[in-house]
Amino acid sequence: MHRPFLAAFASLVLCLMALAGVASAATSRPADEVFRLGVERAADRSLVLTWTALPGHYLYRESLKAQWPDGTPLPLVTQAGERKDDPNFGLTEIYHGQTQARIRASGAPATGTIIVSYQGCAEQGLCYPPIVKSLDLATGALAKAQPISVLERSPAAAAPASLLSGSLALTLASFLGFGLLLSLTPCIFPMIPILSGMLAQAGEHLSARRGLALSGVYVLAMALAYAALGVAAALSGRNLQTVLQTPLALGLMSVVFAALALSMFGLFDLQLPRSWSTRLTGGNPGRGGSLGGAAMLGFTAALIVGPCVTPPLAAALIYVAQTGDMARGAAALFALGLGMGLPLVLFGTFGARILPRSGPWLVKAKQGFGFVFIGLAIWMLARVLPADVTLALWGLLAIAGGVWFGAYALIRDHLRLLPRLMAVALALYGLVLVGAAATGRQDPLRLATLLDGAGAMEPAPTAGVRVVSTTAAFDAALAEARAVNRPILVDFTADWCTVCKEIDRSVMRAPAIRARLDTITIIRADLTVYGSEGQALMDRFGVVGPPTLLFIDAGSGREVDEARTTGATTVDAFSAMLAKAGA
Amino acid sequence: MNRRTVITRFARLSASGILATICPALVGIPSALGQEVDSDAILNDPEAPTAGNPKGDVTIVAFLDYNCPFCKKSAPDLDRIVKTDGKIRLVYKDWPILTEASVYGAQLAVAAHYQGQYDAVHHALMGIPGMRISKERMLEAVKASGVDMVRLQADLGARADAITALLRRNLAQADSIGLQGTPAYLVGPFRTSTLDYAGFKQIVADARAKQAAQ
Repeated sequence: MHRPFLAAFASLVLCLMALAGVASAATSRPADEVFRLGVERAADRSLVLTWTALPGHYLYRESLKAQWPDGTPLPLVTQAGERKDDPNFGLTEIYHGQTQARIRASGAPATGTIIVSYQGCAEQGLCYPPIVKSLDLATGALAKAQPISVLERSPAAAAPASLLSGSLALTLASFLGFGLLLSLTPCIFPMIPILSGMLAQAGEHLSARRGLALSGVYVLAMALAYAALGVAAALSGRNLQTVLQTPLALGLMSVVFAALALSMFGLFDLQLPRSWSTRLTGGNPGRGGSLGGAAMLGFTAALIVGPCVTPPLAAALIYVAQTGDMARGAAALFALGLGMGLPLVLFGTFGARILPRSGPWLVKAKQGFGFVFIGLAIWMLARVLPADVTLALWGLLAIAGGVWFGAYALIRDHLRLLPRLMAVALALYGLVLVGAAATGRQDPLRLATLLDGAGAMEPAPTAGVRVVSTTAAFDAALAEARAVNRPILVDFTADWCTVCKEIDRSVMRAPAIRARLDTITIIRADLTVYGSEGQALMDRFGVVGPPTLLFIDAGSGREVDEARTTGATTVDAFSAMLAKAGA
Repeated sequence: MNRRTVITRFARLSASGILATICPALVGIPSALGQEVDSDAILNDPEAPTAGNPKGDVTIVAFLDYNCPFCKKSAPDLDRIVKTDGKIRLVYKDWPILTEASVYGAQLAVAAHYQGQYDAVHHALMGIPGMRISKERMLEAVKASGVDMVRLQADLGARADAITALLRRNLAQADSIGLQGTPAYLVGPFRTSTLDYAGFKQIVADARAKQAAQ
């Protein structure tokens, strides 16, 4: 009975119920009704695009884009927007109501068709997909362009290739090699007295086999310590380097080194608590040091030396953090530790026989290490201290070293002339450095090249380098750079990033590279002040930290594939990247 | 036809968008829907990842994008209502419409479904704050979610067609019911966008009240 009536009535009732129920829920109007676009030619023939958003809706500044149908972008001059900072959005610039953007007359010919796109959200909590319009330049007519489906643009096949980067064996081999290289730095020196001290406890019965076993265990433990660091890196992810490079961390490490230095000068004895040493050695005194003791020493030694190898280690850690794979990270860092320790195993096995027992040489060696440690402390502080202060510190250190060893030599009249001459030379060098600091030079390494006059390294390129630290500045720089149509190098760097400085010094200024840098455009993303803007820049390219070098193709505006460098690099490697980018 | 039948039919139709023809103010879309909508396909796509109570009496269909800030904002509240309510069936529709990286994220999430890890990957991706998340950063988060990356890579390759087909199906379904942007939630017969916990609670209660009236 009365079916249609009943149905209609029920519908009405349910509608009212539903309305009451979802009064707060967002309703969605089509994007085209919400965001309206108008176009006109200004008196100066430039093209003026005007967007109007309905109340409660806004457009993203960075979403406003104009391009030719083939994808070549048209430089669009946009207005500053309202800044919106929200944990869910990050820092963005938005427009409520009306906004305009301009394409200069030079960039907007009288005829042709261009593509304009924009994107926005409703305050109520709804984000619209990008809106794409084609614009006939002759008539100013706008038409709904067939929106290229996002899905079409990235076929599923694109996904798999980059999931797992490189084979595990290759990674491990590279890290082992990397570790071997690190073992050639002074950082490994502190290990030698620690290890030889342990071996010396073996007394006269130390065989090569025992030496091998002890040093082997020592190195394994050291490698394990690095593996633990690798796990920490994989867990903590991206910001590890930032943490390692904060003034606080650097200051702490410097203090550790200064303390180590004082100990080397004999102010106090650096040794494990007595209960530990008895346990470590007491079990089997005749055989000279237990394996357990060696393991413990190795583990602690790695942590002590860790700060010294921070820059290269940080590069390795960035890599590990980037893969975010704990097992892989741990294995890679373990290989790194093994590589660093291999020379120590050789030393422990064969060096034990020829190792002098103890005596004046050890005292002198210790004092030498003392100066090395102070040097390391200065080196680390250099990242947070003004450059001329650092240079003065270097000078003072050189003078102190020269005087110390010179005076030492004078006391012992049987010493030959050479060490004394070297000490005097060192003191002189120190005087030069202090003088240089006084006259405003800044970098001891560059000073060296000035002194020998050769200048094998060219000055760093500065003309045409755009330094940016905000996304807005980056966009502007990128738009300008693309107009020039040369390959674009984006250099993520920071003042506190030592590896960046090393790249700048040893790679960017190498003659082979320097000349080619003149043929490209460089945008330097400065992350010195680490904040949301820097993070936004890093996010845009999925960068985990400086140094990262990547190239953008001026034509397509996209990053050049496989031409990205993260961490330290070499002239050859960077040269290959330049070639890929077409420079 | 008795009253019960009318309501049942209404409930069924409403989920499919025909409600819009009767009650346009509620859903706010043009009332002329010129296409057939298969609501069963939306609610019961056998390949769509689901969560919550499979036998729940209310179904929420969530159309989401991994670069959609409002999706991220409402995600914890959605999780919470599904968990505290206990009788909600949640159907995920990856609907990557905002950025290119969104597609990549959706592919990773759907691929993870083959090893039963959709939930982990989904939450890892939704957990990255921001709206311009790069593919690299998404991949980082997915790796950290504990998913078997070797398996994931294999599935992305071997099942590329099925993954793309599912995403296309989601896109088509969203179009067919006139969804305009992300997030979009179908809660029983209702359609809504970003809600907080109280909002979800109310709309679920409303959906349930209607079913109880049957």
